[in-house]
Amino acid sequence: MLSVLNILGLSIGIGSVLTLMFSVYAYYTADTNVADQENIYYFKTITTGGDSYRENPYPMMDKIVETSPQVIAGTHLHGWGNIWLERGDKELQERTDYVDPEFFEVFSLPLKYGDTRTALKNKYSIILTNRVSQKIFGDTNPVGETLIGADSLNLTVTGVFEPISPYSSFRLGVVLSNEVLKDNPNFLSQSNWSNSFSPSYLRVRPGTDIAQLENHVNQLVQNNYADPSVIAKLKAMPYTESRMDSIPVVRTIIGGNIATSFFVLLIVLVNLLNLNTSTMFRRTKDIAVRKILGGSKNSVVIQFCIENGILVLLSVLISGGLFLGFLLPKMNDIFGADFGKISFSLENDYPVILYAIGLGLLVTLVVGILPTLRFVSLPISTGIKGKLDDAKRNFFIRNFFIILQFTIAILFICIAIILNSQIGFMKNADLGFKKENIIVGAIDLEYKDIESAELNFEVLLNELEANPYVQSISTSEAIPSDYRFNYTTFYEPNTDRDVRMRRSYTDDGYLKTLEIPIAMGRDFDGIQDNTEERRVIINQTAMQALGWNSIEGKRLKYKNDSDAGYSVVGVMEDFHYQDLQNAVEPLVHFYRDKKNLGSHRYLSLRIEEGQEETIANGIRLKFAQLDSRRNYEQTYLSDKVSGQYRLIDGMLKTINVVALLTIFISCLGMFGLISFMAKRRIKEIGIRKVLGAGVFKIVVLLSKDYIILVGIGALLAFPLAWYLMNAWLGSFAYSINIQWWMLALGGLVAVLITSVTLGIQAVKSASANPVKSLRTE
Amino acid sequence: MLLQLNNIFKWVNSGGQRIFLLKDINLEVHEGEFISIMGPSGSGKSTLLNVIGMLDDFDEGEYDFLHESVHTLKEKHRANLYKEYIGFVFQSYHLLDDLTVKENLEMPLLYKKYKGSERKAMVADMLDRFNIVGKKDLFPAQLSGGQQQLVGVARALISNPKLILADEPTGNLNSQQSEEIMELFKKLNQEGVTIIQVTHSEKNAAYGSRIVSLLDGRKV
Repeated sequence: MLSVLNILGLSIGIGSVLTLMFSVYAYYTADTNVADQENIYYFKTITTGGDSYRENPYPMMDKIVETSPQVIAGTHLHGWGNIWLERGDKELQERTDYVDPEFFEVFSLPLKYGDTRTALKNKYSIILTNRVSQKIFGDTNPVGETLIGADSLNLTVTGVFEPISPYSSFRLGVVLSNEVLKDNPNFLSQSNWSNSFSPSYLRVRPGTDIAQLENHVNQLVQNNYADPSVIAKLKAMPYTESRMDSIPVVRTIIGGNIATSFFVLLIVLVNLLNLNTSTMFRRTKDIAVRKILGGSKNSVVIQFCIENGILVLLSVLISGGLFLGFLLPKMNDIFGADFGKISFSLENDYPVILYAIGLGLLVTLVVGILPTLRFVSLPISTGIKGKLDDAKRNFFIRNFFIILQFTIAILFICIAIILNSQIGFMKNADLGFKKENIIVGAIDLEYKDIESAELNFEVLLNELEANPYVQSISTSEAIPSDYRFNYTTFYEPNTDRDVRMRRSYTDDGYLKTLEIPIAMGRDFDGIQDNTEERRVIINQTAMQALGWNSIEGKRLKYKNDSDAGYSVVGVMEDFHYQDLQNAVEPLVHFYRDKKNLGSHRYLSLRIEEGQEETIANGIRLKFAQLDSRRNYEQTYLSDKVSGQYRLIDGMLKTINVVALLTIFISCLGMFGLISFMAKRRIKEIGIRKVLGAGVFKIVVLLSKDYIILVGIGALLAFPLAWYLMNAWLGSFAYSINIQWWMLALGGLVAVLITSVTLGIQAVKSASANPVKSLRTE
Repeated sequence: MLLQLNNIFKWVNSGGQRIFLLKDINLEVHEGEFISIMGPSGSGKSTLLNVIGMLDDFDEGEYDFLHESVHTLKEKHRANLYKEYIGFVFQSYHLLDDLTVKENLEMPLLYKKYKGSERKAMVADMLDRFNIVGKKDLFPAQLSGGQQQLVGVARALISNPKLILADEPTGNLNSQQSEEIMELFKKLNQEGVTIIQVTHSEKNAAYGSRIVSLLDGRKV
């Protein structure tokens, strides 16, 4: 029974370590297909306002390459809308990136088909990822085949990438040449020195003085940017830090994974050590007999190692199954959407198996040798009596281990409780708008004829207006949880402030539908006049940033622009248009007519509860009549809002599992220990019972010391948990304060679980008939 | 009358056979008696003692202790009964190695409702009575066998039991130590404590007022 539990604990433990370490391994090996990464750099823009982003103005890269002899090659890598591709009757849209012909000189991604030297030579070239290629062409070599892009471009397939690791930072679909974009008037109008939309990557000569290059680049900023005053600096970032830079939470997750696997491993080790020490106690007699019969020290150690080896090997095997069959898919469920699913393939990931075996060997040696050392060197005369007089000394080490285990376990429980409270806080916080009973539909359906679509849409809007179940209607470019990262910087001459504002288009129903209160002025009014398009509504944060007290006669203007600017008609109260991990920034809403399908991406309806499906069906039918590439999809705004916390929910789930696991394994060890202690103290228990001790008293006697150890573990874990979580919560714009009861609850949970575990065994020992244990030899 | 056993049977089933440990035992013990149970190894002496001490169950028969029918009592009630009225002395003393003499003496009191100050007084009293005040802070391993058994008897007496059950109390002692312990028992008996001892020794048995002989679980 105990060894089954033992194997179970060991398997789950090693399985978790494998899973966590595999994600770390996947992370660190993800971009190994790009050679010489240390010589690839990108320039991160840092504004005077403290914002930072990877995008640069489009002409910047060429300027750098032209003027810096240290730069060998450079490429843009940016999107410009995902292109629709046609092949026969197949039509599909994939993530589209535009790059320069020098792409392969910067990123040496290997091609499965095609030649990197010529793949981007032609303007109308398209390179597919292996995944997309299989979707369209199956397993055949598609080089030379043509695809119709955006109904008008004749694109020739010039290459197919080797399968790219799914956890690579390259999330490519298809790759086109920037030359194609140069026919796009919209692109041409934006690709100047005033818009930053294009991340650019540069390969520099080995040994380049990066500080000097950075100076040079910042000089270029001063000489060329339309408004260099808003730029604090362009910072040279090594490509190797790209992922950490783009998703800061990655640092937390990878760091957390490493720490967690270390801790879990430690607990597993300690556990085995404890159990083995107990086993050794029982075997002192056995060992002494072996020694009398001529067995050497080594043979005893080896025998013990082999026994442990079998146990560990079995567990590694089970944990392998657990890892592939359960833990890895589970992890993909949790993190896949944000970081890409990771999968195990023997071909690429065989080192992981070697690691696992190595890990197993290490565990075996440590737990096999350490406990035996003391016992085999005992004098035979002591051993043969089956007694150990120096048991006291051993207590210290074991107590230390138990405290260590429970410190870790309680640390995780506390982290889980605190994170849980934070997530609860974020999900239940007052968002400044009412998310209930609102359905949102995506209406950017890629219409082939936008004008007729808008006509039909207007009819639909009128119908919805007449529907008694629809209380309010709005169309907008963004909805809370999905505001685009579009910013505009306005200048306020009176206070001499540059204010960078998040921007979006809405109609006149937006604030009404979301029930966002107006703090000053008025809401948009669609009927009032047709100059409404030059009018904006800002939020309170924006108003503060501008340094205004009232909006009377106020206009938002660009710096150095003679344009009349935008008249500010109202101020809305602040609302959380993004999750609570981010602060509410200055926000400006521009007006667009309700039926404007060109700029609005969402249709939001506040409706009577229970009518969602009927209304959705009506809308779906209407959109089905339009010639569009996508279908109308509808969700609840509340789901969208809680969906913002998917990643952190996932982290919580992982932490929950780890917390359970650590306490489970710790208790397992505890269970083993107390059975062993009860056996050792069986006589004492008997005496005490004969002298009148009840079962309860004996149970207390047996468990008290351990509960105290758990308590000490808790006291050590509390400040640690507080410190770690305080640091983490600091990265949330809105966070809870850690309360004493959150820590106390964590400790209590641990003590309760431990008490139950101990109690089962202790009651069993305490209920034994004392006559048997006291029978005179 | 202190206790009375009527037709007590105790058995174990082994391989489809019923092996009797005690067979039809009838015994009356009056207050102030000093009884020696004798018989060869395996004759059921210790089993009988355990049954009397309520540490062990029996399968058939009736057992009255101070006019309470032990066989109908619940476990907890029975425990209270022996806690209050019975003290045990063992062949191998069964002192707790980790506790000092003083703490060993105090232990039975911890399981009864005495205040700390009362316990202290009772322990001091007992140390005094047995002349072991000087040894109160020593551990059992630091005492001779005779001294350990002295502590064992003192521990059995500390809560003023009516009955002392001693399972070969001198089995591990040399003859001089044995004599001392038996003299002590005799003295206690004269002070009114009822004693039932299991012994192999005719000499020890002679200290008693009555001998009960067992053979194969039967009284002979």
